[in-house]
Amino acid sequence: MNALFSLAASAVQHLTGAKLGSFWSKAALILSESADATSGATVAADATSGATAAAVAVSPFLNAIEYTIVVPLLYFSVLFCIVGIIWRLYKILGAPPAPYSLKIYPSSKSPGLGALKDTFAMPQLRRHKPLFWVFLVIFHISLIMLLLGHLDILPSISIVPESSRHMVGAGLVGVGVTVPLLYFLFRRFRTPVRELSVPADYLLLILILFLFLFGDLMSWGNSWTPNGFVMTKQDFSLYFQGLAQFTFADPRAVLPGSHYHFLVIHVLLADLFFIVLPFSKILHAFLSYPINLLRRK
Amino acid sequence: MDAATQDMLKNLFETKLNSAMRLYLETCTHCGACVEACHVYNSMPEMRYSSVGRSEIIRKVFLKYFKLQGKIAPWLGETIELDDVTMDRFYDAAYSCTGCRRCMMYCPFGIDTQMIMGIAKLLLIGADKEPKLLTMLADMSIAKGEDAEASKAGFEEAIANIEPEVEALWKTAPGKKTIPLNVEGADILYVALSPKHSIIPAAAILNAADASWTLSSFEAVNFGAFMGDSKRMMAIAQRIIAEAERLKVKTVAIVECGTAYRVMKQQTGKHPFEVVAFVELIAKFLREGKIHTTKNIAEKLTYHDPCQVARNGGVYEDPRYVISQIASDFKEMTPNREMNWCCGGGGGLVAMGELEFRMKSSRVKADQVKASGAGRICTICENCQTQLTDLSEHYELGVQVDSLANLVAHALIQE
Ligand code: HEM
Ligand code: SF4
Ligand code: SF4
Repeated sequence: MNALFSLAASAVQHLTGAKLGSFWSKAALILSESADATSGATVAADATSGATAAAVAVSPFLNAIEYTIVVPLLYFSVLFCIVGIIWRLYKILGAPPAPYSLKIYPSSKSPGLGALKDTFAMPQLRRHKPLFWVFLVIFHISLIMLLLGHLDILPSISIVPESSRHMVGAGLVGVGVTVPLLYFLFRRFRTPVRELSVPADYLLLILILFLFLFGDLMSWGNSWTPNGFVMTKQDFSLYFQGLAQFTFADPRAVLPGSHYHFLVIHVLLADLFFIVLPFSKILHAFLSYPINLLRRK
Repeated sequence: MDAATQDMLKNLFETKLNSAMRLYLETCTHCGACVEACHVYNSMPEMRYSSVGRSEIIRKVFLKYFKLQGKIAPWLGETIELDDVTMDRFYDAAYSCTGCRRCMMYCPFGIDTQMIMGIAKLLLIGADKEPKLLTMLADMSIAKGEDAEASKAGFEEAIANIEPEVEALWKTAPGKKTIPLNVEGADILYVALSPKHSIIPAAAILNAADASWTLSSFEAVNFGAFMGDSKRMMAIAQRIIAEAERLKVKTVAIVECGTAYRVMKQQTGKHPFEVVAFVELIAKFLREGKIHTTKNIAEKLTYHDPCQVARNGGVYEDPRYVISQIASDFKEMTPNREMNWCCGGGGGLVAMGELEFRMKSSRVKADQVKASGAGRICTICENCQTQLTDLSEHYELGVQVDSLANLVAHALIQE
């Protein structure tokens, strides 16, 4: 309930540029702060309505969940992801090699370079699926930028000036990953790709899509209104710094306002993504080079 | 299917899981780029006849028995159980795939469907459901290797009988054998097939070049490879390898047979001799001026790149050079070389008969031949030649199909 209230509150506030949703957002703010210091009972006494009083009882609980998502679970999922990837790569690449060459001709003068080209330029797709190829290139380049953008939030890395309130690309990178993703989803529903898709394909795309949409909301939010999104890159940098230094501090302290819950959802989806990644076909990112080498060598 | 059989099949499956196979099974993103690569799908548009459609059956079994995901959430990847119905689907997938590997030209990861079909074929052998004709032919080849003496007399007689036909093409120099057998220290071991048309033109060309050669007592065709049975494949190839080593030849020249060439060149390890496709020898003889030909083919001629020799073996330019020496009106097919359409007869299909399927599944090939506008077509693979001949008849293309070696033998100039 509480989560819903605050979500709705911040959404309304966001769209109208404050006023209308201010009551609910204030309520949500009080709720979230309550967990840190005061007991539920005292806040309830100060509260103006019965509904808030009922909600207040769950607020420490909500706060604990939010904290778990943005700090411990994030550590866990990233670690899980790394270990999972290494394990799978070990299982695949550590198996005995094929007994004979699997290359096709004409052979390239340098198999290593040829495989690199196949991996990053995807000439087969450019030739046979040009539109798909365009979207894939935009998508994957944007992905790299996205990774850089996230790293850039750390105060020690400055790709865009430290004083900027925007991430790398100021929201454009988000469009760069989201629009192609919509296309990928679209083509999955069409013959012949539809016939060869399994639930995991759709679910993965949908998970990533929502992950991106919540990211987009935060980055575009900064450009929507003069005040923009309540939290900016500079605010996030404090959170990231805490993560990087393993302080285990609650980022709520440095990320005020009701928009915080959007960040929490974004991070929750990211946690899920990291946990799913080692089991998913995203592993192609790591397998693409070695598998292309088979065709060349 | 009982649990014991399932276990046995699972173990067979596991023996195939080398690192390349794991890459092929675990990298596919279901992007669908390979769907249009397959001549079978293009001729009969059903997903089970596409490259990814075939390999998905294997992949879903793999997911069920070898992956955590398949155990925790089978519905995510729609896993499949090993049972009789699955075995039938394996058959359908594997024996409708010619192993041409054209799909590797489309897949962004270069996934090798032929190799994945090797799992299906091996499990079919395990379940005693493989095409029995291939097993029989493979076992006959192996038996012949084990008891070469038994067939020796008959073989020598048959060879002697065809020598006049070689002489009709090229008069052998006096004092030389028309078809030399068992010559220790010869430079070249020529490995033919059982039909005489695989021996006669080659013998004439070798004699015309005054080459030091000897004919192998074994036929090159490898039914073990068609069955996806690496043990039988090795046993069949080993007969020739042992013979070549015993005779201490420098070069083993493989008759016009794509699979035999690829098996010997790539899939049987390193050899103390060089392996060439016969066309490579012809090109060499022509370049070195050891043989001379007239351009006696005036009609429009096109060339079919056999998948196992071209895309999978790397022989592209030699046949074109040879053709330029015997024909005046050569026309490439489109697409050609590594993008050429498979004839539709590979993977054992021609050996198995399967006429109706071969014709239906190769409509694109027939269209391609027709579009070339050529009245004649030549190739360097016995399988392709049979299939193209059948196609010409079935689709009423009216093209004459030839072996390139045969065309060269008939263009030789005896000075
Ligand atoms: C060297 C790195 C990479 C290469 C060569 C590569 C290559 C490809 C290729 C060829 C496709 C097309 C197949 C398809 O549609 O599924 C693809 C799709 C995709 N890739 Fe990558 N990729 C790389 C890295 C990544 C990374 C790091 C991610 C992480 C999110 C990623 C996510 C995706 C997604 C979501 C799709 C679309 C999947 C779909 O259509 O269902 N890729 N990639
Ligand atoms: S190897 Fe050839 S026949 Fe088999 S799936 Fe690929 S394109 Fe089709
Ligand atoms: S092109 Fe390759 S990755 Fe795409 S569906 Fe086919 S086999 Fe899978």
